[in-house]
Amino acid sequence: MVKPSSSAATKDDARALIHSLRSAYSATPTNLKIIDLYVVFAVSTALIQVAYMAIVGSFPFNSFLSGVLSCVGTAVLAVCLRIQVNKENKEFKDLPPERAFADFVLCNLVLHLVIMNFLG
Amino acid sequence: MAVPVDTVTKQPQPPPPSPSSLRFAFGNVLAFFILLLIGVLAFSIRLFSVIKYESVIHEFDPYFNYRVTQFLTKNGIYDFWNWFDDRTWYPLGRVIGGTVYPGLTLTAGTIWKVLQSLNIPLSVETVCVFTAPVFSAFAAWATYLLTKEVKGTGAGLTAAVLLAMVPSYISRSVAGSYDNEAVAIFALIFTFYLYIKTLNTGSLFYATLNSLSYFYMVCSWGGYTFIINLIPMHVLLCIVTGRYSSRLYIAYAPLVVLGTLLAALVPVVGFNAVMTSEHFASFLVFIVIHVVALAYYIKGILSPKMFKVAATLVVSVGLVVCLAVVGVLVAVVASSPTKGWSGRSLSLLDPTYASKYIPIIASVSEHQPPTWPSYFMDLNVLAFLVPAGIIACFSPLSDASSFVILYLVMSVYFSGVMVRLMLVLAPAACIMSGIALSEAFEVFTRSIKFYISSLSEFLETDAGDVMPGSNGSPQFDVLKTEKKEDSLKERPSRKNKKKEKDVVVVKEKSSVKSKTEKRPLVLPAEVSFFALFLTVLLGAFYVVHSVWAAAEAYSAPSIVLTSHSHDGLHVFDDFREAYAWLSHNTEVDDKVASWWDYGYQTTAMANRTVIVDNNTWNNTHIATVGTAMSSPEKAGWEIFNSLDVKYVLVVFGGLVGYPSDDINKFLWMVRIGGGVFPHIKEPDYLRDGQYRIDSQATPTMLNSLMYKLSYFRFVETDGGKGYDRVRRTEIGKKHFKLTHFEEVFTTHHWMVRIYKLKPQKNRIRGKTKKTKSKTISSTPRSGTTKKNPWH
Amino acid sequence: MAKSPIFILFSLIITFTVTNSFSIENPTDRRILVLLDDLALKSSHSIFFNSLESRGFDLDFKLSDDPKIALQRYGQYLYDALILFTPNSERFGGNLDVAGILEFVDSGKDLIVAADSSASDLIRNVAAECGVDFDEDPSAMVIDHGSYAVSGTEGDHTLIAADDFVQADVLLGNTKIEAPVLFKGIGHSVNPANSLVLKVLSASPSAYSANPKSKLSSPPSLSGSSISLVSVVQARNNARVVFSGSLDLFSNKFFKSPVQKAGSSNKYEKSGNQQFVTELSKWVFHERGHLKAVNVRHHRVGETEEPAIYRINDDLEYLVEIYEWSGSSWEPYVANDVQVQFYMMSPYVLKTMSSDKKGLYLASFKVPDVYGVFQFKVEYQRLGYTSLSLAKQIPVRPFRHNEYERFIPTAFPYYGASFSTMAGFLIFSFVYLYSK
Repeated sequence: MVKPSSSAATKDDARALIHSLRSAYSATPTNLKIIDLYVVFAVSTALIQVAYMAIVGSFPFNSFLSGVLSCVGTAVLAVCLRIQVNKENKEFKDLPPERAFADFVLCNLVLHLVIMNFLG
Repeated sequence: MAVPVDTVTKQPQPPPPSPSSLRFAFGNVLAFFILLLIGVLAFSIRLFSVIKYESVIHEFDPYFNYRVTQFLTKNGIYDFWNWFDDRTWYPLGRVIGGTVYPGLTLTAGTIWKVLQSLNIPLSVETVCVFTAPVFSAFAAWATYLLTKEVKGTGAGLTAAVLLAMVPSYISRSVAGSYDNEAVAIFALIFTFYLYIKTLNTGSLFYATLNSLSYFYMVCSWGGYTFIINLIPMHVLLCIVTGRYSSRLYIAYAPLVVLGTLLAALVPVVGFNAVMTSEHFASFLVFIVIHVVALAYYIKGILSPKMFKVAATLVVSVGLVVCLAVVGVLVAVVASSPTKGWSGRSLSLLDPTYASKYIPIIASVSEHQPPTWPSYFMDLNVLAFLVPAGIIACFSPLSDASSFVILYLVMSVYFSGVMVRLMLVLAPAACIMSGIALSEAFEVFTRSIKFYISSLSEFLETDAGDVMPGSNGSPQFDVLKTEKKEDSLKERPSRKNKKKEKDVVVVKEKSSVKSKTEKRPLVLPAEVSFFALFLTVLLGAFYVVHSVWAAAEAYSAPSIVLTSHSHDGLHVFDDFREAYAWLSHNTEVDDKVASWWDYGYQTTAMANRTVIVDNNTWNNTHIATVGTAMSSPEKAGWEIFNSLDVKYVLVVFGGLVGYPSDDINKFLWMVRIGGGVFPHIKEPDYLRDGQYRIDSQATPTMLNSLMYKLSYFRFVETDGGKGYDRVRRTEIGKKHFKLTHFEEVFTTHHWMVRIYKLKPQKNRIRGKTKKTKSKTISSTPRSGTTKKNPWH
Repeated sequence: MAKSPIFILFSLIITFTVTNSFSIENPTDRRILVLLDDLALKSSHSIFFNSLESRGFDLDFKLSDDPKIALQRYGQYLYDALILFTPNSERFGGNLDVAGILEFVDSGKDLIVAADSSASDLIRNVAAECGVDFDEDPSAMVIDHGSYAVSGTEGDHTLIAADDFVQADVLLGNTKIEAPVLFKGIGHSVNPANSLVLKVLSASPSAYSANPKSKLSSPPSLSGSSISLVSVVQARNNARVVFSGSLDLFSNKFFKSPVQKAGSSNKYEKSGNQQFVTELSKWVFHERGHLKAVNVRHHRVGETEEPAIYRINDDLEYLVEIYEWSGSSWEPYVANDVQVQFYMMSPYVLKTMSSDKKGLYLASFKVPDVYGVFQFKVEYQRLGYTSLSLAKQIPVRPFRHNEYERFIPTAFPYYGASFSTMAGFLIFSFVYLYSK
């Protein structure tokens, strides 16, 4: 899709894109940023584990699974929370953020219980 | 039986005019009682088997489940988890804890424990017998919840009634049918309900419940793969049709992660939850939904122009990455021999797979494709109502209704492959029919009511005014009853997304308007009355058929048989007679060989070790038994002896005309045996491609162990004719002796015959011909001279 | 020998208290029924009978047509062994017939059958059922022009001096039989594939079986060393049977007569018959070569309790004590070839057991990495000894859920990740809740 002849235009576009992305993102409220940070932490942990697995092999497969899935699960749940507490998201107008957080905690508890069970 | 149906038909009709809150309360209470009645109906319609026969576990698999439950209640959950059963699959044994879906057993065990702690001394068997009816009541309630989420209370109640009585489900959940499906159908519907609920509310709480319910489903039945494939399909469908929403993400993403983890906790699934192709679809869609979610998010925060730029960039990069990933996946999957799919699943996708490659799967009657009459038998009028329900679901199409449609379509396909999966179709058909019926009732009753109200208001107002005026009039509200109340709550939230600037209040009105505009359908009163009558008649027909099916067709426990003849009722209790004989007359550690159908029953009822049983996990072992049965007597003896078998049990129906006996299953033994041991060839047992046991039968057939064990001494029963009432022919070889087996027990109706393997001969005979001894015994030389040889 | 009166007393008590005196604890036969064609045999074979009686046997002599012959009464056998010195009887008195004799053998009792130059069909049938085929020619005798017994008159060489004994101490005793055995009678053959029959005394390669009175018109059906003169059968239930083609073999006359084998300068004062017959009768009446295995047990290494189930890869010990009956007491059986199998459809472990020379055999091995229902199997079959066939079923289970390895070092990063996400979750919750 990216034609070489228009590479300069593409580069400009990309720069503009990144700029606008950054500006758009800086407008997000702090609590959402915290969630984003948390998600990034979880995803990077997951990636590190996948890389580690690629090196040492998948022997304790259950440990690997629980390790990776705990990170992925955490990330997914955090994303869900982010969707729910995002004020711009009008679908969840009638859902109070406290309730959303309580659900999130419950879900996490279940997740980590299962992880603990599966780890060993 | 007709009471709940009547109540439902009455239900959409308006209660007497009163303040709305009171009316809703009244409606709720009414719905609650109707549900209670539905539960009672679902439970009681399944008790025919107990009333007509007795409170006993049915058929084959339930006996295994019963035995496992006994073990669980006796030894506790940890011993159950680690149970290595040395009484089946001798000498291989079977790791029960790791190969069984524990949901049913744990459920019944828990029920028993709870009852016990309440000082209600029920036996484990009683609990097991009544687990299925209880859970079918739960399933009916779950259907109500699911359909309510889709189309409102009226449809929910109708669907619940239908499901409580659907013959297909009754066939698997009569009292005593203590099988996985009994609880799995409830789990299936409940999981779907929670998924829809999550989808409608976008609540993480329900998402958590959903994964837990999915966990229960995984525990209960191998059919959980249906869920883990159907839901991704629906998600994909929503994405493709542009219905992506954040609620979809919340409903799906946590389910995949939590569900996979929970499924991996079940020993029988274990790493399969991430390793086999059945689950790959969910991961693929998991990736897709993240990409889509990111796209929507970026679209939300960027200006449209910038988004376009971003899209081109992302799409070009993403395509390459996706292709690479797909390529790797395909390579990985293709490198495994069965393409990563297990045999049963493959036979779903390719209906001819099983008969081509796995005779053991094809040999099970419930794995055969169904015939058309069986659809009518199992679904009855639902089969005709389903299309109407689909149409009703399309107007208007919501996430929930699209899911139900998809569920229906998929289950229709699967039921066409395997008759057993008719069970999965039944709830879908019930939901659809429930929707169709309830819509029909609504239209008809509204027409009638409109007719009545127009009659009463005729003098005051113009007929033309009534029509548009009905929009806001109290009567309209009444028409909709509670059903509206729910759908109104959901629908706006979906439409919100489309027209974000709309004010909710405005939209609520508009949706109401669009709804009434879509259905300005007011039929003439006479037509309505007539149609209503017909619909009720249809329902009545369904009820009659269901009750008949429950009472006559599906209640036989199959270990006790009855037959009516001119001189009254005959009861054939041969199976239990034989098992009781085994348990009283043989040593505890004796091994009993039979075809695998009777393995579970033998271990559960006779408590003897068996060689193969209904858990057909080891094809070679089954083939060994099949080969022994197909071999001549001596070879069969040798095979059995090498497996330490003491007794051989065959089921024979030739005397009383019991058709599912071992002779009729014999070709499968030959096929399965021949699949592993090539010296057993199917054509040797067929004369010109025909399976026969009369004088035209092949010598191989007549000399096979199965033939001999089945027909040994058979001629003595009818004075030398040897007429087989199942095959309707005289048997081919009538007089023969057994050299390596001895008959030790034959039940009253000859349905079960037990033979003992003779021990190895104490002495080995010499070469001298037998004729010599014959002459001796016939003509003993008289006058033996006493002669001293020592002259 | 001081023991023997006590022993006889003991055995008599057993005889009177237990009708069936052949017991596991005392396998030697005590009551013997001797059927004779003629009571004159009682005196002409008295040395043999006396030696039996002196060893503590109760002999009950009956004529073969005695109508009171009965092996069993009220379902119990009255005798532990049967001696058939009835080469000519076509039928017995009472209701004893071929089937009765075979049933007697099949219930674990012992039998000595002696034929003669003319074996009756009854004898032939009993023999054939046990896998011994007497020469079908009723008038045939074993003739040996090479190794006949030298006597005063040049006869027809039907009295032969056989010295081709089976090499088995358990059958014929420890002392070697020096003198040849005199034999005069019919020969028989055994099927080499028949593992239960054993030729104890074979004819020499120059022997053949024919009618000595007529000329040899066709090649003899039996010839050479395939002719068996005396054979023993040990049935699968360890019942022992001796077949002799010659009744004279047991006679006083042959016992005492000097013997010189043709072509050999060695002249013996006394034939080997007495020693041969005595030793053989010791074997056939279970005074020798009868083994028992007791105290079969197994346990994990370091434990003494016998578990109901093993786990894969367990280390275990299997012990068995084997004794041999010496005629008066159980003596430790010493051998170095007792093997134990750990068997499930095929042997997964096959190990020779070590012996402590006091009858205790031990093998220790590791359970294979396969679960299933295994068996400890000892199949000990040695020439002349009763066969030992021990099988003990034992299931082997896989690991329990909590027996797998935990805290594997390679998995530490995963543990770390899991716990860090948990910690992350807590921290996040705090930060999130207090950030407002």
